Amino acid sequence: MARNRIDPEDFHRPLRRVLVAVLVLLMLGLFFLWRIDSPRVERFRSALVDRFVPSFSWAMAPVTWAAGVVDDYQSYSRLYEQNQQLREELRQMKAWKEAALQLEQKNARLLDLNHVRLDPMLTHVTGVVLADSGSPFRQSVLLNVGARDGIRDGWATMDGIGLVGRISGVGQQTSRVILLTDSNSRVPVTVQPSGQRSIMSGDNSDLPPLDFLEDLDEVRPGDRVVTSGDGGMFPAGLLVGSVVLGTDKRLRVSLAADYQRLEFLRVLRSHDLTPITDAGALIAQPPLQGPPKPPTTPEPASEPEGGTNG
Amino acid sequence: MRGVAGPAMIDAASREVWLHRALFVAIALGLLFWRLLPLPTPMMSDCGESAAWCRFTVWLMRMPGPDLMLCVIFAWMMRRPDYLPVILIAAVVLLEDMILMRPPGLWTAIVLIASEFVRVRVALTRELNFGVEWLLVAGLMLAMLVIYRLAFAMVMVPQAGFGFAMLQVVWSVIFYPLVVFLSRYVLDLHKPAMGEIDAYGRRM
Repeated sequence: MARNRIDPEDFHRPLRRVLVAVLVLLMLGLFFLWRIDSPRVERFRSALVDRFVPSFSWAMAPVTWAAGVVDDYQSYSRLYEQNQQLREELRQMKAWKEAALQLEQKNARLLDLNHVRLDPMLTHVTGVVLADSGSPFRQSVLLNVGARDGIRDGWATMDGIGLVGRISGVGQQTSRVILLTDSNSRVPVTVQPSGQRSIMSGDNSDLPPLDFLEDLDEVRPGDRVVTSGDGGMFPAGLLVGSVVLGTDKRLRVSLAADYQRLEFLRVLRSHDLTPITDAGALIAQPPLQGPPKPPTTPEPASEPEGGTNG
Repeated sequence: MRGVAGPAMIDAASREVWLHRALFVAIALGLLFWRLLPLPTPMMSDCGESAAWCRFTVWLMRMPGPDLMLCVIFAWMMRRPDYLPVILIAAVVLLEDMILMRPPGLWTAIVLIASEFVRVRVALTRELNFGVEWLLVAGLMLAMLVIYRLAFAMVMVPQAGFGFAMLQVVWSVIFYPLVVFLSRYVLDLHKPAMGEIDAYGRRM
């Protein structure tokens, strides 16, 4: 009896197969669109995250507070050593505070003297970390400042101490920082004091390795690593970290920024560095131009030549 | 309650279906929310010297965890595929793709194919005992990972090491029985019993 009735399932099955095939093709099409025209899809992704994630922030607050409490509780176990360390640091800080106050006064006097206006290139926008990337394969954080605060793609980001990453993906209210430890991150750096140039490439571990070092003997663990400003990517001279020797005998960088406690990040307004394309006019004469336009009133032809010879 | 058919009961049955679909979306959003939390990640430099236990826990916390979304999809698909229509899976996994910074669409396509593979064979999976089902899911997850990485290699996108990604599959396989247990005893999601009927009054 049941066989004589037309089972609605008989219609559903081929229909569902068609639907699944269409969906799979759509998804693969989206993937190839991303591969071919990545900026457009990434803009869409930034806009989606921009709408979606900040609505979570109210719910994240109690959980991050609880995690902070647990973190503090773990630090109670090392209370005595921390106390000693803090006392020592406090003593040093007091000395620095005195020096800083004097320098500040001196600086104010000198600026006043010169009516100097600081370059807007040295200003920054401070943002708060909203969320992680959510995946162990992508090291990035989300900031709560976006296009409406003037953030642009490619700007460097620091915390109070050192370089943290680079802005990649800007929404209206949020922007994403790709950290230096992400496998896509490549930063040109200089190793002080030898002045060797290198590329610090992230490989998903805590300590990004240094690639393309010319002379390995010149570089020793403990050397300071700063950005070199090569390629107009980052402003030069930002502190990145110090060199360490990894367990695999590769030279790596121990980052100065505190990646454990990324809370407030500064996005540096770095305008594009202008590349130098021609020889300086002081050193070499500009190439000879053709004869100048004839003036409306007849003038002696020797006058323009007299100008270049003089 | 399930064995009785009738106009009022059909409403109850379809309401149950939509309730479970809403529950699936809620679970997906909850897992996503958990992964987005900016919790302090420990680093190796925080451990003192010769603190092997501390370094081990730091290493463990930096390794990828299980893909619970995938475990939930497989667990529910083996038991009640009608709770997970194709569009719902596609929408949820695509949202995850976008937010978790994966190349959008690729993992969604792979998950759709795998879930359809299970859905078509529901007559087979219903007969399996748990051990074989676990093996099947482990094989499926491994195959999905391999295809995912092959696709990355073909279009020449840089990716993390194979061992690192494999760890996620291992953890997912280990957590699968827990997900099934929770679904069964907390959400009462079991395979249809003999003689059970669905919303249209047909045997399942």
